[in-house]
Amino acid sequence: MSFVPGQPVTAVVERVEIQKLRQGENLILGFSIGGGIDQDPGQNPFSEDKSDKGIYVTRISPKGPADLAGLKIGDKIMQVNGWDMTMVTHDQARKKLTKKREDVVRLLVTRKSLEEAVKQSKGCYHKP
Amino acid sequence: MPVDKHANMEEKLWILEDLNMMYIRQIALSLQDSDIQKKIDHEIRMRDGACKLLAACSQKDQALEAAKSLQTCSTRIMAYMSELQRMKEAQVMQKVTRRSSDAGPMDDRLPCKGKVAISDLRIPLMWKDTEYFKNKGELHRCAVFCLLQLGEEIFDTDMVIVDRTLTDICFDNTIVFSEASPGFELRVELYSCCSEDDYSAGSTPRKLASKLSSSLGRSAGKKLRAAMEPGPCSPVSNGGGAPLLLPVPSVPGPKYHLLAHTTLSLSHVQDSFRTHDLIISGNEECSYWLPLYGSMCCRLAAQPHCMTQQMMSGCLKVKQQCGGDPQSWTKVHAVLKGTSLFCYYRQEDVEANVEPAFTIGINKETRIRASEKDPLSKVQNICISNHYGGEEVTHTVTTDGREETHRWMEAFWQHFYDMSQWKQCCDDLMKIELPSPRKPAPITPKQGSLYHEMVIESSDDLSSTVSDILARRMQELELRSQLGTSPTWMSAFEESTARCTGRSRHCTRMSGHSPCTPHRLPRSPVSPHRCPQLGLLSSDASLTSDSDSHCSTSPCSHHHGWPEPTSSYSLLSSSPSRLRPRTLSLDAKLSTLRGRGYGGGGTFQCSCQPPPSSLLAPLPISSCSPRSQHSTQTTLSCSSSTSSNSSSNSEGSHSPESSEGGPFSRPSPARRSLRNLRARLDPRNWLQSQV
Repeated sequence: MSFVPGQPVTAVVERVEIQKLRQGENLILGFSIGGGIDQDPGQNPFSEDKSDKGIYVTRISPKGPADLAGLKIGDKIMQVNGWDMTMVTHDQARKKLTKKREDVVRLLVTRKSLEEAVKQSKGCYHKP
Repeated sequence: MPVDKHANMEEKLWILEDLNMMYIRQIALSLQDSDIQKKIDHEIRMRDGACKLLAACSQKDQALEAAKSLQTCSTRIMAYMSELQRMKEAQVMQKVTRRSSDAGPMDDRLPCKGKVAISDLRIPLMWKDTEYFKNKGELHRCAVFCLLQLGEEIFDTDMVIVDRTLTDICFDNTIVFSEASPGFELRVELYSCCSEDDYSAGSTPRKLASKLSSSLGRSAGKKLRAAMEPGPCSPVSNGGGAPLLLPVPSVPGPKYHLLAHTTLSLSHVQDSFRTHDLIISGNEECSYWLPLYGSMCCRLAAQPHCMTQQMMSGCLKVKQQCGGDPQSWTKVHAVLKGTSLFCYYRQEDVEANVEPAFTIGINKETRIRASEKDPLSKVQNICISNHYGGEEVTHTVTTDGREETHRWMEAFWQHFYDMSQWKQCCDDLMKIELPSPRKPAPITPKQGSLYHEMVIESSDDLSSTVSDILARRMQELELRSQLGTSPTWMSAFEESTARCTGRSRHCTRMSGHSPCTPHRLPRSPVSPHRCPQLGLLSSDASLTSDSDSHCSTSPCSHHHGWPEPTSSYSLLSSSPSRLRPRTLSLDAKLSTLRGRGYGGGGTFQCSCQPPPSSLLAPLPISSCSPRSQHSTQTTLSCSSSTSSNSSSNSEGSHSPESSEGGPFSRPSPARRSLRNLRARLDPRNWLQSQV
């Protein structure tokens, strides 16, 4: 999932639709994010490439909306409701996820296992 | 082939070295100056010792210290050798001149020597913000020290480990050079050595070297690589124009490189701190590079001997100012020191520290001249004129005989000359604090940094400390969730503080201002067992100024002295989750673990119930969050917050967890934002947000 500057980023993504849950006066999604272009990418335990400054899912509240929607810990969020998440600061990412007017977020997430799955399914046509 | 060449070179170098030693010995013998030779021998022995130590030691600190001594010894040896050569040359020149012409008595006056002291060296650093995000979270450390050379005297400061948490390199030593002439040149050199694990002789990291050589094109890169890797024969420091007298034997281990240097002289002497420019050698590609701001602050003071010692003393007769007959001479014992001529009635007064009868100022404004011979005594008088506030005051002084007068005049002239040479040092006596022979209190392992308010002294057993913290958080969380909001709990604690008899006698109000001495208490059924929890306040309180919980304990490794967990365990029916003890890298800045709601730890003890004898020993060890996170404090905060009830977490209120601990405490919005800000401002955190 590393990117080469100047080249478009391609990734195999999964669509995750999360319905926000109302708790009191807050709408929560039930997961935590880490990363951002203003953060130290070396401390990201989930990224394969330690220079990846993307937004990653660092924690999922069990039985929370994100968990139910199929978000997995370690996923990298590529888009939120159409907004790009690959080149944003941490706070920008948080804001895009916690808009009060929206009660559903549609994420595009990617993870290693997706890439592997696609490779495997394509692999039968290629010589190893 | 290259290997052979190196071996040959080494042999040749050893031979050269032996020859040099013989040469030096010869010179020393011929000069009949065994003093320097003894010094050289001493230094060479020290150097050999340092080499052996370096080869033998395994620990990094030892190696660095040994390398530092090696460096100092080498520099001293070079200095002594240059001195020897100079003396030899001078001797030869003298012989020559004596033969050629009868040189008259030396007319040149030599100014008096003095003490020069340099202290409070501080070198600011200028880290780029990218520094905080490099190296995968590991600190790039350098070991630095300063070498100060004045004439023949060479001293080194203590070694300081520098990493990006420091904003300045501070050397606390005061270095005093005892015999300095006014034209002194104090050379300050800053040596640094990369403190990473790679101690190969080529201290440039291999990757970098190969990268450069590959990217610059083969021949240029090779040249560069050869230049960067110090060959086996390069001396560590070649002071100025001193010839390569004694090559340093190449030993494995850390090698110090010159990072910056500057030369201070009389014009830089002042009784306060001044900033001087540094000349930096080396560039960013070197492994020993540190981003220096380019200047150095220090206090350079000088005490010329004419200010501190008695230059001349003897009996004088002083005629009082208000004219009168020649008989009104006052006999005094006069002492010429500093900027005055102290006149005592008796000689014993000088030692007795009695105030002088009167003092005649002798400074740059004073004019002294010999007056015509007194017709009666046939001795010249000396007139000393001063300007005291616009008025000219003249003291006439006479002595017993002509030689005495001559000597006094000579002394005055010498004094004036000294003052003209030492310039601003003779205006007032500058204080020089001699370093106390005792070693000061043990230095804290880390110097203060901008980003961490609190330093935790106790860091012996981090893994148990960490699991300890997690356990306590756990309990506290569960307790909270069971018993409701924290504030009331806090108040309960405080009330019951008074109520609990004997138990909580030791419970001082853990307002975070009182550092309690850590107790290592054996298990005793009596109240002392309370103390360990307080004893956990091993560090000072500037912990959390904005912390909501007034109980700010800090992690401490004394949890063994904590036999009873907390009586509140009796309240908790279930403590299902167990924390897995984590071993974190030493980089775990426990200091940023604000003791959030460690009041929990304190509150527990005050539920006035007899503590159960059951032990904390089966510390709730939970495998709650089996994530193996590398990030440091975030790990702890995440795991703890996960272990708490998810309901309490999924409040939806955004609270960055990074260094703040989970949101199990309900801070007020203002405090929360302050904390957020601080967490965000700390560039070393990897922020996580809950959405």
